[in-house]
Amino acid sequence: MLTNTAPVAKLYLSIIDDVIESMRELFTDEGLEDRVLDDLRQIWESKMMQSKAMEDYRKSNINSSNFVLQLPANYNRTNQELTASVVIPNNSGILPTFSLPAGLSYPVQIPAGVTLQTASGQLYKVNVPVVVTQAPAGQPPVSRLAQVIERRESPDPPSTAAPPDASRPPQEAEALSAPAISDKQQQQQQQQQQQPPPPHPKTNFPPGEESALPQQPLVPPAEASQPPGAHFPQPEAPPGESEPNPPPEPATLCASASPCSQLLDFQISTEEALTQTGQLRTNDLDDILKEVIEEERGKAVMARKTVNQSDADLGVIKKLISLLLEVCVCVCTLISLVLQHVLITLVLTTHLYPQDPLNSGDDVVEQDIPDLFDTDNVIVCQYDKIHRSKNRWKFHLKDGVICYGGRDYVFSKAVGEAEW
Amino acid sequence: MQLRHISASSNVGEAPVDIFQAERRTYSAHCVFEGILWLFLLPVVSTMAYQLYRNTTLGNSLQESLDELIQTQQITPQLALQVLLQFDKAINMALANRVRNRVNFRGSLNTYRFCDNVWTFVLNDVEFREVTDLVKVDKVKIVACDGKSESTQNKNDK
Repeated sequence: MLTNTAPVAKLYLSIIDDVIESMRELFTDEGLEDRVLDDLRQIWESKMMQSKAMEDYRKSNINSSNFVLQLPANYNRTNQELTASVVIPNNSGILPTFSLPAGLSYPVQIPAGVTLQTASGQLYKVNVPVVVTQAPAGQPPVSRLAQVIERRESPDPPSTAAPPDASRPPQEAEALSAPAISDKQQQQQQQQQQQPPPPHPKTNFPPGEESALPQQPLVPPAEASQPPGAHFPQPEAPPGESEPNPPPEPATLCASASPCSQLLDFQISTEEALTQTGQLRTNDLDDILKEVIEEERGKAVMARKTVNQSDADLGVIKKLISLLLEVCVCVCTLISLVLQHVLITLVLTTHLYPQDPLNSGDDVVEQDIPDLFDTDNVIVCQYDKIHRSKNRWKFHLKDGVICYGGRDYVFSKAVGEAEW
Repeated sequence: MQLRHISASSNVGEAPVDIFQAERRTYSAHCVFEGILWLFLLPVVSTMAYQLYRNTTLGNSLQESLDELIQTQQITPQLALQVLLQFDKAINMALANRVRNRVNFRGSLNTYRFCDNVWTFVLNDVEFREVTDLVKVDKVKIVACDGKSESTQNKNDK
C-alpha cells in the first residue's frame, strides 16, 4: 500500500464511475444534457491524472494502449502516400502506444486531419501526414534518431603524425643564435682590443663611486714608485707602456684608506716623481699638483660626510625600530588589560543577575498553534477506539485515507501507539 | 387507576371519571406526529455520510471541477451540492467494502484535541508499517470521526 498506489487509483476510478452514474438520472431531471455530466467526468479524471495520486497508475499502464485512432470514414490505406515519420510529443514522460482498429496493421499511414484520443480523454490532432511504425520491443524511436545524429556528427580521427615544422624552428633558432653569439663575442673582443688607452686619472675617480673601490687591492706606498702604467686595472693596457708625460700616480687609491694618508701618499709619490724625472716643467707640475691636492681634499670631505650620514641614517632607523617595538608592546598590554576587564565584568554580571527562570522555554507560544496543525500529511478516517494510559495513547482507526507526499493511500484498519 | 377512581369520584356508586384523558390524547397525538416526521426524515438522514473525505485528492479535484462548471453556468450550486453528497456516500461505501488492508504506526504525540466527537491528533516522527513496507513521516495530522455512531450525522472536516 505504501509503495504502490495503483490499487488506490483503481478505487478512485471506480468511485468516479459510481458518482457519475448515480448523478445521471438527477441531471436528466434537472434538464441537463449528458454532455455536461461527461464534461464533469473528463475534468475530474484529468485533474486526478495530473495529480501524484495517479502517478503509479499511469506508470502501471505504460504497456496498455493509450491512443485510439479515430480514422476518417474514407480512410484507405492503399491510397495514401508515404510521408515522414513523427514522434508524438510526450508531455507525461511516458512513451505512448497505439491500439489499431480491426483490420489494420503496422505500418499505418495517417493523413492530415486525423484525431487521436487518449484513454484519459486528451485529444491530439494530426496536422501533417504521419506514418506509424512498430518499433522493436524495448527500443524507443528517439534512441534511433540519437544514434543517427551521433554517427553523422562524429569527428574525423585526429592525425597522429606530429607536425614536422614544430621542431624545426627551435633547432633553427638555436643554430642561428649560436653563430650570433660567437659573432658578438668576437665583436666585443675587438672592441676591447681597440679601446683607447686609459684616460686621465681625473676621469677614473668620479665622486660617487669611491665606495666601490674596496674591490681593488690596497697598494702599499712602496709600490707607488713603480711605473704608472702598471697599476691601471685595464689589462689591455700594456704594462710597460710609458708616456712622455705620464699622468701623476696614484691609481691605487682605496676608499678604505683615510683621506689624510691618501694625501700623504700622494704627496710622497709626487715628490719622488719630481726628483726622479727632473725639473723641466716644474711650474706646470706645481700647478697640476695643487689642483690635484685640492680635488683630493674636497673628495675626502665628501667621503667623510657620506660616511657620517650613513652612520647617522642607520642610527635613526635603529631608533625608529626600537620605538615601534615599544609602541607595539604597549598596545598589546593595553588590549590584554581591556579583555581581562571585559571578562571580569561578564562573569560578575552572570553571577549577580539571574538568568531566565527555569523551564521558561517550555511555554508554548500562542503564535505556534496555527502552524501546529498546518501540514500536508493528513489522515482522514474514523475511529473505533481511542485509549489513553498516563501519557501513552493507543489508536484504533478504520476506513482511512492517508495523504502523504502528494500521494493517497487507503486502509481498512489502522492500529497505532504514541507517547505524549 | 385506583387513585383516579378515588379522586374523581364525588358520589358513592358513580362511575370513575378519567381526568387525564386530555393529557393522554395529547401525548398520543404527539407520538403520531413524531413518527410521521421521522418517516419523512429517515430517508434523508440515512443517505448522509461523513463529509470528511472531501479533503482528499479525489474530493478536492471533484470540488474544483464543480466550481469550474458553476463558473461557466453549466450547473447550479444546488446540483453541485448534490454531487458532493453523492460523492460522500460513494467513498464511504467504497472504503468500507472494497478496501481490505491493515496498517500499523508508531510515533510521538504532539497534540490532541477532541471536539464535537471529532479527534484531531498531531504526531511527529511516525513510522507506518504494512507487512514489509516502512515509511517514516516527520509530521502527520489525524482527523478521525466516530466510527461507531449508529445514526449517521453530518461531520465536516476541519
